[in-house]
Amino acid sequence: MNSSFAISNAITLACIYGTLAIGLSLTWSSLGLVNMAYGFVFALSGYGAWLVAVNISDWSPVVLAAGILTGALGGVLVCAAAFIPIHDKPNFPLRALIATLAISLVGNQMLLWYFGPRAKSLPRLFGNWNADIFGVIITSDKLGASFSAIVLLTVVLLWMRSSRRGLEIRAMMMNPHAASIVGIGVRRTGFYVMALTGGLAGLASVLLAQTYYVAPFSGITPMVKGLSIALVGGLGSVPGAVIGAILLGINEALTSTLLGGQYVLITQFLLIIIVLLIRPRGIAGILDKAREA
Amino acid sequence: MSGNAERQTILDVNGLSAGWGPMRVIHDLDLKVFSGERIGLVGLNGHGKSTLFLAIAGLTGWQRGSILLNGHQVGRTRSQGPGRYTHLVVRRGLALIPQGDEIFHGLTVEEHLDSGAFTKRAWAERAPRKKKILRIFPPLEKLMKIPVGRLSGGERRMVAIGRGLMADAELFLVDEPSLGLAPKIGKSVVEALMAVELGSSAMVIAEQNIALLEGRVDRIIGMHAGKLKGEASKGFKSGTA
Repeated sequence: MNSSFAISNAITLACIYGTLAIGLSLTWSSLGLVNMAYGFVFALSGYGAWLVAVNISDWSPVVLAAGILTGALGGVLVCAAAFIPIHDKPNFPLRALIATLAISLVGNQMLLWYFGPRAKSLPRLFGNWNADIFGVIITSDKLGASFSAIVLLTVVLLWMRSSRRGLEIRAMMMNPHAASIVGIGVRRTGFYVMALTGGLAGLASVLLAQTYYVAPFSGITPMVKGLSIALVGGLGSVPGAVIGAILLGINEALTSTLLGGQYVLITQFLLIIIVLLIRPRGIAGILDKAREA
Repeated sequence: MSGNAERQTILDVNGLSAGWGPMRVIHDLDLKVFSGERIGLVGLNGHGKSTLFLAIAGLTGWQRGSILLNGHQVGRTRSQGPGRYTHLVVRRGLALIPQGDEIFHGLTVEEHLDSGAFTKRAWAERAPRKKKILRIFPPLEKLMKIPVGRLSGGERRMVAIGRGLMADAELFLVDEPSLGLAPKIGKSVVEALMAVELGSSAMVIAEQNIALLEGRVDRIIGMHAGKLKGEASKGFKSGTA
């Protein structure tokens, strides 16, 4: 295994896991919900994209859109089942954690029951070519995956900065109580947030399926990685999640070239523990100049 | 503005009780607010001024009784879900400027003002509204791009009040505008509130410092132990009463 392969691999994975981390982070900070069903939404949207690719069209934009839409639908389902009924009851964070975990287990078993244990592969969305950047050979799927993740994430983040809906979501993230005072409906915003983050999971799912496969339990590892990136970045902070993704991506590349691929998870969690020992609020604790109260 | 014969009722509270859990803070309270009125609500700490405002916004733990805002029933008997219906009440034309400001610490001043105009009708015309707020609070002009979490207490209060005034509201509820501020700054904030053109809307200001209000509001209502006690009109001076 050469180092340029490992580096390009790490960058691609950082982009995809970073997308998941931002999704988890947004959900946590706006709804106060650690979405353990995110891995299920991830796998579900992989199957949605696969169904469309097999039955309707395998043109790449259609497959990508199918994945994102299935993800958004999955997010809305999770919201309806695990947020709406319990969000104003006592002890909500713990209940939501259990509810989303239950959805994840049930959902994954249903995927296994319906689609069977055999992994499905999506069509190659970005063709079959190689790019030579400064002597580093990068395959089309990695370049395409990184590029589309970065472009779509930028679009989403710019939209959140500039639009009324974006302001609504950001206001919910910072102070849900004040948000209701200015006329923002918590339950409706919950659906928007979950659809948005579900769509991000769908995007990540289709992109990751370019290098891996779609399988009933394919969402678990990406969710764990996304969650750890979100934790390193500081839950609730988008720039923190981006920096966390880059940090863990570099760590993954360095570990797999210097030590070997089997040590990646060990060094990754060591890094997370060190960061959280120094900055309990994650990297965002350094970035955040505006403090509460 | 006051004393108009065909004054329109903006807020009609009837038999309202509200509180948190086993604690009952508001006891069978009746209140009428007419259009164009500026009302001072005075009373000591812990006698229910804030709870009354929160109950009108549907933010208390439980409540019972009728609250008509512009003829629409926004009060209901409910025992849980504080804040679940608040956005609907706000859409009916309520602007609450809560105690302790309730700011979004990471949003800039400008985004705050925008968020105050979140209701669809106000959103379309938020640019002229922002200009109006800047005329009321000129110091905010220089701070528009700064996150509110970095502002001083007085500046935050201006942002919180500005956010409330951005709304396309019929009824403004201002909770203790001078609380926690230096006397001079608190006074200037209250003066700015007095200068706001109400038009057909109404404003209720809860305040402990009666000297800031007297002679400048249309009615002063006293509040004691969760009930309204006594009322005085414009000519009232606390020294002569």
